[in-house]
Amino acid sequence: MVKKIILLGVVCSTVLGADEPKNIYEKNCIPCHRYAPASLEKLFMVYLKSYSGELSVKGAIKAFLKNPTESDSKMNNTFIENFSVKDKTTLTDEELEEAIDTYWELYNVRKKLK
Amino acid sequence: MLVSKNRGTSLLRSSEKSSLLRFLALYFILVTMILLLLGVFYYQSQEKLMFSNQKTILSEYANKQVKALKQLHNNFPNHVAIYPRSDKYRSAIYDIEGKKIFSLLKHDTEEDIRFESGIYRVGNTLHFVKILDDYYLGTKYLIIEVDEDMTWYKETMSSILAFGTLTLIVLIIFGLFFVGIFLRPMRNSIMLLDNFIKDTTHELNTPISAILANVEMMDTSVLSDRNKKRLSRINIAAKTVSHLYQDLTYLTLSHNRKSKDEWIDMKKLIEDRVEYFAILASAKKITFELDLKESAIFIDGVKIARVLDNLISNAIKYNKRNGKIYITLRKNYLQVQDTGIGIKSKKVQEIFERYTRFNTSEGGFGIGLNIVKSIIDEYNLKINVESVVDVGTTIRIDFTKGTLDG
Repeated sequence: MVKKIILLGVVCSTVLGADEPKNIYEKNCIPCHRYAPASLEKLFMVYLKSYSGELSVKGAIKAFLKNPTESDSKMNNTFIENFSVKDKTTLTDEELEEAIDTYWELYNVRKKLK
Repeated sequence: MLVSKNRGTSLLRSSEKSSLLRFLALYFILVTMILLLLGVFYYQSQEKLMFSNQKTILSEYANKQVKALKQLHNNFPNHVAIYPRSDKYRSAIYDIEGKKIFSLLKHDTEEDIRFESGIYRVGNTLHFVKILDDYYLGTKYLIIEVDEDMTWYKETMSSILAFGTLTLIVLIIFGLFFVGIFLRPMRNSIMLLDNFIKDTTHELNTPISAILANVEMMDTSVLSDRNKKRLSRINIAAKTVSHLYQDLTYLTLSHNRKSKDEWIDMKKLIEDRVEYFAILASAKKITFELDLKESAIFIDGVKIARVLDNLISNAIKYNKRNGKIYITLRKNYLQVQDTGIGIKSKKVQEIFERYTRFNTSEGGFGIGLNIVKSIIDEYNLKINVESVVDVGTTIRIDFTKGTLDG
């Protein structure tokens, strides 16, 4: 009986642990963008096409998240009309930078080009 | 002593040769520099043309690559993406911060990459840089690289060498033609002087011969001491003019006559000439010190007499009063040394130039040593001059070439 209880506990913790956000990016970015029409990957390519370099892209994303405006938004007009521009981030600068670094590393094209 | 003759004695004076060589050297340098400059301009123009042609081709490659990058950007796979490649060129992409995104280039070190639009050469390759407005895959700078086709270089260098050599030859021929024109005034002035001397010489012969013959025939026993002195002065003056006449005659008339070479007893000849010049030397109270050994050379008698007369005449002319003239004769050389005014070391090489005189207070045309040198050269003898100002001059003639007759 004790063995069964322990096994059940391990399985539950593994299953629940798999869905838990691991970092700031997953915790704060993915939940909302999961339902957005433009995926984070597509959005990354849009930023990359507009700002090119790592520092420029990260700088532009950080600036937008701290002070989102319609003119700086990369979402299309229909999306903005329906959902308006997102709210300002509640994350600290350090948290924001960490999340953007994770985002950059995840979709960085340099590592994928062969 | 048998001496061989040098028939190739140049008719050009060394000053003429020097002018000729200087002009030719200057002309050659200038022509070469102009041709080199033209070659450089031509090379640069051909290089620009090549760059222009290559730029058009590489620009097309770049546009093609941009299209491929755009396609890849818009359909970027989740995991691995194959960078667009071509057989005709290699390429690399850099972001706005100058960081490499991806590169297939042969030359992609920091020094090899220039982030400015246009074409440039790196090693044996050409790089074309295209700056993108839309940064596909983050690309701000697209660099297209191709191996440089050196055909244009070989063709250009061949053209430069062929055309340059041909032009140089033509211009050298022109240069030689111009040298003739350049030297003509100098030659004309020398010919004018020579002709003047030649014409004057004819008119001197008869009166000088008459004066000398009559002086020799005069009965001096009936003359008073005063008149003897006067006669002696006439004799000196006549001999001086006679010596000049001999030089001028040699220079203008006898120079091209056929030589009559024979064995000349040098000791006897020297003694004769010293006796002839004794009266001139005594006028300046100059004494001769002779140290003569037996020696004979195979040479034209008139010419060797001109050599001796000029050496002795100069030794008297440029000697101090109460000076001495040492004449030494050995089997292989003759040496005439005076105790005169000497010549500055810088001027020693010029003493054989025609019309060169080192003391304008003395008479003469400055042709004596020029005659000596021409005879010395003709017979391949060796002449050496050593002089110390205010101490004297020593002229030595070596009979170095030839065969001892015993």
